[in-house]
Amino acid sequence: MQQVVVHGGGVAAAMAALAVGRAFSRLGTDIVWVDTGEAPAPHTALIAPPDLATFHRLLGIDEAALVRHAAAAVNIGQQFAGWSGGDHGFLHAYGDAGSAFASLPFVQHWTRARQAGLGVALEDFCLAAAAAKQGCTGAPPEAATRQAVKQGWHLDAAGYAKLLRAACKRADVRIVSGAGVVVRREGDRIERIHLADGTSVGADLFIDTHGALAASLDPDGTSARPSFCDRIIRASAPAFDPLPLYSRIAAHAAGWLTLIPLSSRMAIEFAYHSNILSDADAPAALAAAMGRAVEAAPPAPLVAATRPRPWVGNVVAVGPAAGVAAPLDGAELLLLQLTIAQIVLLWPIDRAAMPEADIYNEEMTGSRARVADFTAQHFRLNARIGEPFWDAARTAPVSAELAAKIDLFAARGMFAHYDHEAHVEDSWALVMAGHGVTPRSFDPQALLTEDQALMAEFQRQLRAVASDVLAMETHAERLRQIRG
Amino acid sequence: MMGDRFELVIVGGGTAGWMCAAACAAKLAPARFRVRLIESEEIGTVGVGEATLPQMKDFNDFLGLDEVEFMKATQASFKLGIEFVNWGREGDRYIHPFGTFGRPIGEADFFSYWIRANRAGTAAPLFDYCFPIVAALQNRFMLPVGDGNDVRSAFAYAYHLDAFLYARYLRGWAEARGIERIEGRIVDVEQHSESGDIAAVKLASGTRVGGDMFVDCSGFRSLLLGGTLGVDLEDWSPWLPCDSAQAVPSARSADFTPYTRSTRRTAGWQWRIPLQHRTGNGYVYSSADISDDEAAATLLANLDGEALADPRVLRFKAGKREKAWAKNCVGMGLAGGFLEPLESTSIYLVQMAIMHMLTLMPDERAIDPALPAGFNRVMDVEYDRIRDFLILHYIANAPDAPLWERVTTGDIPDTLAGKIERFRHRGYIEAYRDGLFGPPSWQAVFVGQGIEPRAADRLADVLPAATVDERLANLAATIADAAATLPLHADFIARYCPAPAP
Repeated sequence: MQQVVVHGGGVAAAMAALAVGRAFSRLGTDIVWVDTGEAPAPHTALIAPPDLATFHRLLGIDEAALVRHAAAAVNIGQQFAGWSGGDHGFLHAYGDAGSAFASLPFVQHWTRARQAGLGVALEDFCLAAAAAKQGCTGAPPEAATRQAVKQGWHLDAAGYAKLLRAACKRADVRIVSGAGVVVRREGDRIERIHLADGTSVGADLFIDTHGALAASLDPDGTSARPSFCDRIIRASAPAFDPLPLYSRIAAHAAGWLTLIPLSSRMAIEFAYHSNILSDADAPAALAAAMGRAVEAAPPAPLVAATRPRPWVGNVVAVGPAAGVAAPLDGAELLLLQLTIAQIVLLWPIDRAAMPEADIYNEEMTGSRARVADFTAQHFRLNARIGEPFWDAARTAPVSAELAAKIDLFAARGMFAHYDHEAHVEDSWALVMAGHGVTPRSFDPQALLTEDQALMAEFQRQLRAVASDVLAMETHAERLRQIRG
Repeated sequence: MMGDRFELVIVGGGTAGWMCAAACAAKLAPARFRVRLIESEEIGTVGVGEATLPQMKDFNDFLGLDEVEFMKATQASFKLGIEFVNWGREGDRYIHPFGTFGRPIGEADFFSYWIRANRAGTAAPLFDYCFPIVAALQNRFMLPVGDGNDVRSAFAYAYHLDAFLYARYLRGWAEARGIERIEGRIVDVEQHSESGDIAAVKLASGTRVGGDMFVDCSGFRSLLLGGTLGVDLEDWSPWLPCDSAQAVPSARSADFTPYTRSTRRTAGWQWRIPLQHRTGNGYVYSSADISDDEAAATLLANLDGEALADPRVLRFKAGKREKAWAKNCVGMGLAGGFLEPLESTSIYLVQMAIMHMLTLMPDERAIDPALPAGFNRVMDVEYDRIRDFLILHYIANAPDAPLWERVTTGDIPDTLAGKIERFRHRGYIEAYRDGLFGPPSWQAVFVGQGIEPRAADRLADVLPAATVDERLANLAATIADAAATLPLHADFIARYCPAPAP
């Protein structure tokens, strides 16, 4: 690849340009970002799962820059509130669902103890969940639990996009302004795109986050996905103090309300379905949910779509051009990072023939489906019985893979694994258990542990979680340390 | 259920049956599960000299067996891989190892650097960068060392063992831990009238053995799963045409290899498995391409020790049962499916079936359908992945005999065709979480049988060529030096786990 063009704007294009620039400009590839200028919508914040924190090392983005320029706050999980009705909530924390012992996953022992009357929730055995609730993070010096606490971010989208753009300039990516690009397809590929200023840019490979290039090669290539809600209001409120380590997703009669803590403000997403709540009534519903009026943008459409063949010819659709996921579980950044990492991994070696496209399309279609399953489980498992929006969400069709996952977990606390899984088992366990699924039976090998030994082990784990949390630092201390 | 215990009945006492019984003895609480095994001394088992995979050590550890005691009891030797002779083209040979090629160098994987250097003409053969291969070819062996920086840590090992002796050993072990053995030949099977579940089996003696759950380890007959429940065999013989085998032991040879050997022949392939007291041999062949007599003659003419018996003939068909768990019956071993022993997967598949069955064991008569669904899904993945890997061995060959002409020009599964094209294009191999045979195994067979990539991952071009060449040369030298420090396999066995003369 001598010439590569990244076409689009915002976070997706900047991240793609930066990643391929850092990987391949040292091999003599000329990377041009044709910036179409889309900026994140006002008030937008991003939930970055821990995978992204790892990816940032490859991108050369350090923690201090995130805190300084993207109002970053540490994210160690998501709290789901009211999805079973009432105020009941649970944490999907980025950590272990208890510590395995006697050669079995903790969930098996927990299931057995629940059947015997134990009232303690699965997440109480999770160090990351306990730490998140008590505002603590970092790694305790000598962890009694030996559990991981994985750390992601909450990011201001506009600040993050600017930060990535500045990093592109340092990584030998040439940025040109590209509004109003004209595309001419030549057979099953694109050779050049023509810019408004009369110049044109040719490339061996086009990475398209905008969508116009992908659409010109494959016009009917997108299909709709269930979006659950079709409208969204983005808003901001003053930052909470102390700053929470988790975002909160609260169910309401017409959808959900997400609160994303940033160091500069509390970002708000109010998602709803227009069948249940009108745009006229939505601002008042948001204010009621928040307990006061907030600074908000007007209602905007919320769509979900996917492009089953994101790589066609010499054009790879990435980010919004490849599909839009429901704004839950950090899916947007999780998928963006997976797609970009996959492009680097499958960097084509021959401009004339790119069989990498088939591999990429299989991988990404698979990953996208598994990520969509993770989000769909919240709706399938909701217990807001008698509310039209939630009753419909519960009975909406799900993939065969998700149905098998829920069935097997509900039956035995085990996992039906498929190719391209993007979330770890412990995340699935914490979320399914959080939504109220207690497995009906457990691995009989758990019975080899005596009742007394089991209770002692449970008490040991709860004490270890408590003592580890005490040894951790507060969110404010952690951010101060990062700022330096 | 009798009282409040769940009743499990294992039908058949070969390798599969006793492995299953031993695992139940180790892992199921006797207060909740009653486990019985029915076998008949009138019915022989198929156990031959068996080659295994490294996972077998996990199974023995899971039971808590002592390695030395187990190896003495089964006349076992160590195995670092399989040597394939005449595969690809007549005269070629390569080893599929239990280890990886090379060590991490930079941002790309080792194999990409090797492709690059190989295309530039500056690399040694791929197999020189694999410690267990270099050691194996000198008939040397030792247990892996603990230090991850030492090349002598970077491998796993399996066993060659006498499967009859292994079954006998496990029988003693399981009976000592409360498994009830029932001697008898099954003459009838009783089903629940409504559900069709198996209720009991009746023995020639008239005894009725009832149970809540049945494990079919009856071998090729698949007495319960195939017979009573009518679960069909998914037929894979169009891709894997061998349908017969003859096995014969020979006297132990001076060439005491820490690896299995598979030699391609006109109508199939011949195995050679060195045990402490003898060598196991066999010819797997397509009966359409050679007569039994000719096959026996070929086998006997290609032994490296005196034959100790007359060849025994076995018939089979490649495939797997459409469901390994149907109603209240799980089939394992030959009762669940058959894949020729080209990659030593038989005992591994039994082991996987046992582990998944234990984890998903029902605790009441009404079986939650999610449990068999989960079991069948994971076992299908196991079988399908092994199937594709075996077919690869068949199709990448010179069409130098009618059998090899047919298999190299016939249809292959789409999943496999895509894999081969991707490998040729850029050395790409998909890594998956579950199931056998990761990238190093595919690399070994592809390269060993003459399928080479046309290009490598571009990230392998970041390092200067001279740096890559130097690292490769150093690695090959380190491996050669390290291999020379190992004791001979025969000496190691004589010291570590000498078995008594049979």
